[in-house]
Parts: sequence; C-alpha cells; structure tokens
Amino acid sequence: MMLEVKHLMKSYGKRQIVKDVSFTINKGESFGLLGPNGAGKSTLISTICGLISYDQGEVYVNNQSIKKFPLVIKQKIGIVPQEIALYPTMSAKDNLMFWGKMYGLKGAKASKRVNEVLEFVDLKDRAKDRIETFSGGMKRRINIGAALMHEPEILIMDEPTVGIDPQSRNHILETVKKLNESGKTIIYTSHYMEEVEYLCDRIGIIDNGEVIALGTQKELCNRLAGGSVVHLDVENKTEQGIDSINEIKNVKHIVSKQNETKLEIYVNEAHETMGEIVTTAVNHGIKVLAVEVQEPNLESLFLQLTGRTLRD
Amino acid sequence: MKFFTIAFKDLKVRLSDKKGFISLLLMPIILTAILGSALSGMFADTVSMPHTELGIVLHDQNEITDQFVEEVLQGDILSESITLKKFSSQSDLKIDIENQTVDLGLVIPKGWGEGLQNGEEKDVMVFTDPSKQLQSSIVESITMSFIDRIASISTATQVFSQELAMIAPVTDQEINVREIVGDVSNQLVAVADSEMNVVTAEEDGKTPISGMQYYAAAMGAMFVLFNATIGAKSIIQERNIETLARLMSSPVRLNSIIIGKFLGTFYVSFLQFSVFILATHYLLGVGWGSNLFQTLVIGLSYCIAVSGIAMIIAGLIVEEKTADTVGGIGVQIFALLGGSMIPIGAFPEKLQLVANIAPNKWFLDSLLEVMNGTTWGALVLPITVLLLIGVASLMIGSLRLRVR
Repeated sequence: MMLEVKHLMKSYGKRQIVKDVSFTINKGESFGLLGPNGAGKSTLISTICGLISYDQGEVYVNNQSIKKFPLVIKQKIGIVPQEIALYPTMSAKDNLMFWGKMYGLKGAKASKRVNEVLEFVDLKDRAKDRIETFSGGMKRRINIGAALMHEPEILIMDEPTVGIDPQSRNHILETVKKLNESGKTIIYTSHYMEEVEYLCDRIGIIDNGEVIALGTQKELCNRLAGGSVVHLDVENKTEQGIDSINEIKNVKHIVSKQNETKLEIYVNEAHETMGEIVTTAVNHGIKVLAVEVQEPNLESLFLQLTGRTLRD
Repeated sequence: MKFFTIAFKDLKVRLSDKKGFISLLLMPIILTAILGSALSGMFADTVSMPHTELGIVLHDQNEITDQFVEEVLQGDILSESITLKKFSSQSDLKIDIENQTVDLGLVIPKGWGEGLQNGEEKDVMVFTDPSKQLQSSIVESITMSFIDRIASISTATQVFSQELAMIAPVTDQEINVREIVGDVSNQLVAVADSEMNVVTAEEDGKTPISGMQYYAAAMGAMFVLFNATIGAKSIIQERNIETLARLMSSPVRLNSIIIGKFLGTFYVSFLQFSVFILATHYLLGVGWGSNLFQTLVIGLSYCIAVSGIAMIIAGLIVEEKTADTVGGIGVQIFALLGGSMIPIGAFPEKLQLVANIAPNKWFLDSLLEVMNGTTWGALVLPITVLLLIGVASLMIGSLRLRVR
C-alpha cells in the first residue's frame, strides 16, 4: 500500500473542512478525487503532502507517518499545485533547477534531470525563456515538470488543467496517462468528471469535506438507483399514462413536472425497455416528440447523492 | 544549506527586474548629487556667516590682541561678514547694542593677550542682541578657537623653553634661549593664524562633513531601507503565487525557508549599499572615511536590520498593495525622522529622542562618525542596536509568517 489516509479531520475555527476521510491508494494506481469547487479537495491534498497540519487521523506513505517523518515523506511526493507556483521572471530551466535543488539534486545530475524534464513536457526549445512569456498551457506543463524533477514515487496533482485551452489540456492529460503507465502513483483532483473518468482507476467523490462515494467508475455507476435516464419530449401527457409507464418492469422512478412537456424516466436496462415505454405512452394518447437516453455517469451519481451538479 | 539556494534565487529574481534594481541604484546617486550640491552651504567649511556689525572695546594693547583683531576678525575669511566698530567704553557699546546699531559686542580686558601667552586666561565679555544668537555663537566660537590655539602654543613654548634650559648646561655652544623661544613662538603663532574653520569647527578637531558626504550617507540609508518593503513584498508575492506553499511542501525545513528569505533581502541590500558606496566615491568624489572596514561593518549591521524589518512587514501584512503603501509611508517617515532629508540636529530635542527608533538614524550617525574618523568603541552601540533590531524583527516576523 502506497498511501493510507485514516480518519483525517481538519477544521478552521468552527468550520470543519475535512470530515473523517479515509481511503487507501496502491502503488502504481491512479486515484481521482472528484468534487465541486470548495468541496475540500485542496485542503485534503495539502494535509496529505504535509503542507498543513491536521487535527485528527493519520496519513501514511509506505507505512511511515507524515507527522513523524515529514521530510522523508515529502521527498517521496511531487506536488503540482493548482496555481502556477513558479517564479515568473526566471527561465523555465532556472525554475526547474531551483525546484530540483530544493529536493536535493545537485550539479551534473540536476542539469541532466532538467533536460529530461524539459523534453518530457515538450518545452526544451523554450528552456531559456522566462516563465512570464509562456502561454497558460506551457506554464502548466512546467508546473508539472517542477514536481517531476526529483522523480517522486507519488505525484499529487491539484486541478492541473484549470484555465487552459483544450489542446493544452489534452497534452497534460496524455502526460499524466504516460506517467501512470510508467508506474507512477497518481492522485488527481478535479471537478471535471471526464478527466477523472479518463485518467483514474479508482475515484473518490468528495463533497463538503466528506468522501461520499469511493470505488472504480463501474462500481460507482452501478450504485445509481435506476442507472440510466430516458428523457421523453411529449404532448398531451396524462396521469393515467404516467402511472402505466411507472408499472413497466425496470422503470424505477418518473419525474414529471406540471406545465412541462418533459418526462424523466429512471430505468435499468434503458435500451431494452425504451420500446415498451414509448408504446405504453402512445397507447395512452401521449404524443412522443423526442426520446433521449442518458447513460449512467459520475455526474448523475453526484447529482443523485447531493442534489447538485459538479459545477454548481 | 538550502537557505543559500533560496537566498541566491531571491537575488537572481531581484536582479532580473533590471528596471527596478537600476532605479534603486541610480535614484540615490542622482539625489545625492542634487542635494549634496544644492545644500552644500549648510555643511561646507567655506560658508559665510550672516553679516554682523561687531562692536569691540579694547582695554588691551598687545601683539596677540592685535593679531586677533586684525588677522582673525578682520582677516580674509571674516572681513566680508564682520564690520568692526571700535568703542572706547563698555557703556557706549551697550547703548549701540540697545539701539541695534551693532549686533553684538566684545570687550577685551586689560592684559588679555599677555595673559594668553603666559597661560593665564582672562575672560572676554560678549554682549548680544537677543535676536542675534547665531552671530553671537559664531563669534564666541571663533574667539574660543583662537584662545585654545594660543593657549596650546603658549604651553608648547613653555615646555620647549624648560626642556631647552635643562639641555643648555651640558652643551658647549652658547645658546640664545630667549631668541629661540621667540622664534618658535612666532612660528606657532603663524600656525594659530592659519585658516580657521568657521561654522563647523569641531571641538575634537575632526574634519567637517561636506554636504555631498552627508547626503550620500543619508540617501544610502534611505534607499537601503526601501529593501524592507521590497523584501516583504517578495515574501507576500511568493505567498500569493503559492511558491511559498510549494517550498513548504518540499523537504526543506521551515527555518531554512525563513533564513533563506531573510538572506535574500540581505544580499540585495548589501549589494545595493556596496555599489552605492563605490559609485558615489568614484562618480561624486564622496569620502567614506579612512576606515573602509568600519563602513562595511556598519553597512552589514544595517542590512541585517533592514532584512529583519522585511520579515516583520511580511509577517504582519497580507496584501502586496498594503505592504507597498505601509512600507512606502514608513520609509518616508523613518527617512525624515532619521535625518535622511534634513539633518537631525535641526529637530526639536524631543523629536531627536524619538528618532532613536529609526534604524536609519543609527546607520546615518555611524556613517558620519566613520567619515569623520572614529574609534570602534564609538560604533559598538549603533552596531548593537542595528543587530538587535534585525534579530528581534526576524524572530517576530518568523512567528507571524503564514504560508497562505
């Protein structure tokens, strides 16, 4: 086990930011922390990497407590902060060299590593340019590079794609994928569901400082009551017709708002049941204008668990 | 030794802001040149005193008295500033002072010149119009300076003649002791008659400070103090862009980060101070005193104080803009209080006492002392005060430092 978080708690005054959080991450695993802004992801990350102290609980890396061996554990972790934590008036090369030195790299070894990292983040040709002259995406890549200088065992990335163009975002996602494939343990926080779905083996959904769901993507989606949602655009909807649809096998729940022409039907095995739903509706005089099937995903799970969307 | 890496990085970051650094170097040099030239009259030894109508009653007729009147009071240096009016009696002189036809009066008692030659000092009376205190002080200072010189010569002559008298019996040659003593005395009188230091005559015979020297030290003190704000802003910036948090997440001890940031401000301050000294010396001809080591030690102590203050500002202030405003105003107040704008001697006594809280006051005073020529003993207090300010500020600032 690479990382173990046990009953972690952190408060600022009376406000509890992290509430009894526990999870484990195995070596080489890619773990995603998904949650809306303000959910407590960054605080949780900051406690794990030893930046801020925690009130209760414990964090272990390779079975060593971060409270007891902070410097040893910090050496094993590479942190990619949400902000571009680089010196804007220094060159990319000087920034990488500085951060390398902070992790104990020296001389020729440090220089060699700077070149390797620059190549890895595809910015070797901009090595001598000041960070302030870089685009948002380039800055993000150097920000990741600085965390890779000392070849950490665990890479913690706190929303590394915030505020950048889709092309740079893809580049960063591919970089993370590559790092994970090379055996690096990754903790990736984001409020972008698709990023976490793409990158992570296991996912923890966090809201109000609590991990409200934890598991693989499949496990989480299976937890959805009535996995899929069938959206019907209708005319002449009747109470009798809605009751008849509700009696169909696999249909779990129907949301029908007054004065609206839409029906949201929560259903298992949506594709197999869809025909019966439409037939029943038509037989009861309901005119079906459009049908849309929404497959189960983390967004719908989050919605079901919290009543809010991830980007609320 | 990661703190050296952090400090060196800070120096590099500061030097990369060429515009800011050059202005911090150029501004004090330009201001020194302007203020030093424009206000040199307040300091230079060629300054003229306000025109003075001086009444004099001479109860004494003697070579020394004549020399004082003709060659000092009416000599080349003072003849344009002093118009001498002779009175036959003290009462006539007093009447003219009351009528304000003369500014002040001197009464030379009988036997004054001879008395000085024999080492017996007789008091010279000075009558003053209360509104002419400055002229009165200057004339008193000139008179005392003349008396001191003649008294010294008299003592030297007496010692010389006594020594000579003791040697004479064992020599074969005839020696005209009286003639030799007279010659020596005349030579020494010529020395006494040499150019006098009019306004800045120092009791201990030190070299007076020129306007250029004063303002070089004053501007140096003020502009090095700006590093307290700049150093604090550097820490606040690091907090804002989260490099400080990133540093805290790395395997570097907190005290290494604090010392690194402290040293970063120190490097920049000391570099600025050193370049400023060289530039003012070679470009403006400023003399920083004969003991460069004293200047450097005082500079080091001041830079430590400034770096400490940077830490305390960073510990107490969160916003960069607030640090800018508070720091800017603080430096101006300290500069004024510490004598960087107007010599502190011009302030009321109470304000001079309050000025002791300003580190630049201690620094400026010490630099002026070093320029004048001083002992290490005289520098112990200012060096201790500056080091204490630095260490105490560093400690308080460290306790208050927040990563985010």
